[in-house]
Amino acid sequence: MDLIGLYPTWYEPGIGSGYVVAIIATVHVLFSHTAVGAALLFTYLAYLGYRDDRPELIDFIKKYGMFLLVFSYILGSITGPGIWYSTTVGSPRGISALIHNFVWKWATEWVFFVIEVVGVYMMVYLVGKVDKATYLRIAITFGLASFATMLAIVGILSFMMEPGKASWAEKGGYLLAFYGDNTFAQLAIRSMFMLTITSVVGGIVVAGLKDPVFKTWLARRLAVLGIVTASIGMMLYPWYLSTLPAQAQIVMENRIPAFYNTAIISVLMATIAYFLFTLIKPRMMTAAVAGFATLAILILGLFPGETIRESARKPYVAGEYVYSNQVLAKDVPGMTIKSEIPTLEKVGFSHASVFWPETQREITPQNAIDVGRTLAITACSNCHSLSTTGIRPIARYFGGMTDVPRIQNYLIGALSTGNTMYMPKIPLKPKEAEALALYLASLADPTVVAKFVDEKTRAAEAEAVKAAPNKPVAVSMATPLHTGSKE
Amino acid sequence: MDASALYALRDPLGIPAAPIIFLVLGVLTWALHIAAVHILLGASGLTLTGALNKNPHWRRLADAMIGTAKIALSVAIVLGVAPLLFVQVVYDPFWYTSNVLSAWWVIGFIVFLIIGSLALFIFYGLNHSMKSTAKTRCPGSLIAAIAFFLLVGFIMHVLSLQMLSPEKWMQWYAPNGIVDASGRTLHDYNFWRFGFFISLSVPVIGLWLIAYRRYLMGRDTEDAGYLAFIQSLSMKLIPVGGVISLALMAGWMFTLPANVAGFATGIWPASTAAILLLAVALPFALGKKLDQGFWGFVPFAFGAVALIVVAVMREMLRWTTLFGVHGYNALDYKLHMDWYSTLMFFLTFGVIGGGVLAYLLTVSWKAGQTKGMYTASPLVNRMGTIGISLLGIWILQYFVIGLWVAYGS
Repeated sequence: MDLIGLYPTWYEPGIGSGYVVAIIATVHVLFSHTAVGAALLFTYLAYLGYRDDRPELIDFIKKYGMFLLVFSYILGSITGPGIWYSTTVGSPRGISALIHNFVWKWATEWVFFVIEVVGVYMMVYLVGKVDKATYLRIAITFGLASFATMLAIVGILSFMMEPGKASWAEKGGYLLAFYGDNTFAQLAIRSMFMLTITSVVGGIVVAGLKDPVFKTWLARRLAVLGIVTASIGMMLYPWYLSTLPAQAQIVMENRIPAFYNTAIISVLMATIAYFLFTLIKPRMMTAAVAGFATLAILILGLFPGETIRESARKPYVAGEYVYSNQVLAKDVPGMTIKSEIPTLEKVGFSHASVFWPETQREITPQNAIDVGRTLAITACSNCHSLSTTGIRPIARYFGGMTDVPRIQNYLIGALSTGNTMYMPKIPLKPKEAEALALYLASLADPTVVAKFVDEKTRAAEAEAVKAAPNKPVAVSMATPLHTGSKE
Repeated sequence: MDASALYALRDPLGIPAAPIIFLVLGVLTWALHIAAVHILLGASGLTLTGALNKNPHWRRLADAMIGTAKIALSVAIVLGVAPLLFVQVVYDPFWYTSNVLSAWWVIGFIVFLIIGSLALFIFYGLNHSMKSTAKTRCPGSLIAAIAFFLLVGFIMHVLSLQMLSPEKWMQWYAPNGIVDASGRTLHDYNFWRFGFFISLSVPVIGLWLIAYRRYLMGRDTEDAGYLAFIQSLSMKLIPVGGVISLALMAGWMFTLPANVAGFATGIWPASTAAILLLAVALPFALGKKLDQGFWGFVPFAFGAVALIVVAVMREMLRWTTLFGVHGYNALDYKLHMDWYSTLMFFLTFGVIGGGVLAYLLTVSWKAGQTKGMYTASPLVNRMGTIGISLLGIWILQYFVIGLWVAYGS
């Protein structure tokens, strides 16, 4: 049997499942990057605190750590698996590709994460209760374990864009999937920006410090850390871009909204300006100002950044072989994976999909509108809203066209051949293309469904008469007109 | 849905080690996770009871339990990641389908858990020291936290149950032949099963209280009245909670679907019931011995073992359903053995995880038992230094091997 492993689809008509994932991922990046950056900062401050006998530094660790317990280690811990959950429902085969390639890496990260969580509680609650050397050991352990969580995850993030080494497709294996140019470029740039974010978020805690001298001292150091890391991060950006696959570079040039890049550069410049301000006038740092800066980074910096990363890998979502619509697009001989495109070309979605209503396996004029809708949900809705509103609304791509054969020709000519940049190859059998075309036309004018059924019925009658001129025609105008289901 | 369709849904990547390893790890880590969940729910319940009580012992207990609940929440979340990972490895067709069919609730799980967690921390922030005041501020936040924890537990229950019914999936996804891709419905539930897993919080927190009491006895100047109060409370919670749990488990077994009804009379439910009974009886059997040596910690440790048996029974039911009824054999998953990542995980888990956590937990324990400042012994210091060195070696090998693969191979 020619079955391919397409899961049911979750269609979110408002913002689209892609943005649900992007929102959760963005929030998680803020929490997790703050956690790792803060862990390294704590290690350094603990070292200074005990070397120079400065208890106020240890007290700051306790305050910032208490804040992080909720900010990073509760909210971050929830939104981390939250990305799994959201990608599970938005892109099950995308997350499956990552899980099955990197299960042990994720399990390894989990070990470090457990150490990290135990460590942060100890950093907070054992201040003044253990000797200096022990506290410093805990701090170093915490810092290293936290950094190791980032090391463990960054190659997985890179694989979403492309396998570490191109030879992975031929040879397979974890190492070639995980390590590559992009892995280290991404690690470098993320390490810098996580320290920048830590400096910004740390401002919320610094703002609450009572001792003006200490507040000034710490605010200035955070400002210097922020300026240096944001600047290095910006300098690393061209390196990171140079490691992206050619397809991603083209997509970034042509498909990403222009204001995204402007927003990221603006927020980086604004971040540096903010740190210069706090360097010169550290006492002006208030919780409101630092909170506002954190939100600005989240909304104007991280969200466009994550969205670009999501978009640039289209039409793939993982390893350059899983399409955004969940179809496996290429052979990966190293892992004995076969492309599913030939199967779709042979039998079509309607016969290859596991989750396909039995009443829609055979396409008739009467069920064509429902088949078209099921096709649109299965093959398109991961990236397109099936209406005139929402994310990349599919109806708008056809300019209100209601000519079913013309839309069908476009679908076969542009999509089934895979000749449209940024779009997956979507093989459609002629009847499927017609059904999808009918559905797309119906979005502009629902009455086309009745006309279509009527025309098809008449054509069938004419065909029947032609085939057997002396036989009474069974098909009549009484054939029910299917108007399709509402979205 | 027949077996060929289920197998088609499997990830063609295969898995990097024998499937049994993932099954075993899934069971063990789920048991640890559910233990943390039970402590969270039990401690939250005791906090609420204590917070609404004027009795000084209850208020002191509430004070201790909100701290326990806060840490148990972190631990439950962290430990929950592991079984969530492993279920996707060998049961991907079932887990992913179940999730997509109730997608909005899956997203809701994240939101509700965040709300519940923040509500717990709000209560904690407002009630730092309940033992020194008779007033409790905003108990509603704690009630809300418990309600949201139960809600996310219910969502997880539904997702776990839906994955066991492949024969109903198409009916849920395309009722009357028309696809409903909204993911807004929770399609299946069994209150007996949900009630059983939740009710275990009562005996588990009772066992935890025995260990807590023993821990307090390690200090020199502990209030004997408070210790007696804890003793009395735990000895009520354990049998009452145990009986309720067993009754709910019986209800679950009686309401199993017809195609797996025979499971109820098999070895696994009987073994589970037996070990739960033993866990309930153990503290009473130990009697005065609970005050001696480490015996006070034994009932909780035995309870943890009992939870592993519960986890095994849960897994065997899943196995019986998916293999016995639907012909899906999790153990014949395509194997693409990857020695490096497999060995690296077990080394990290056993050597670094074990070594570093042993150090951290030893320091925590000793610091908690020490009045004033704890100064680590040379042996403990050496444990810490070794732990740091191991972390350093792990990071070093990451870069050496990674740079070699990326640029040198």
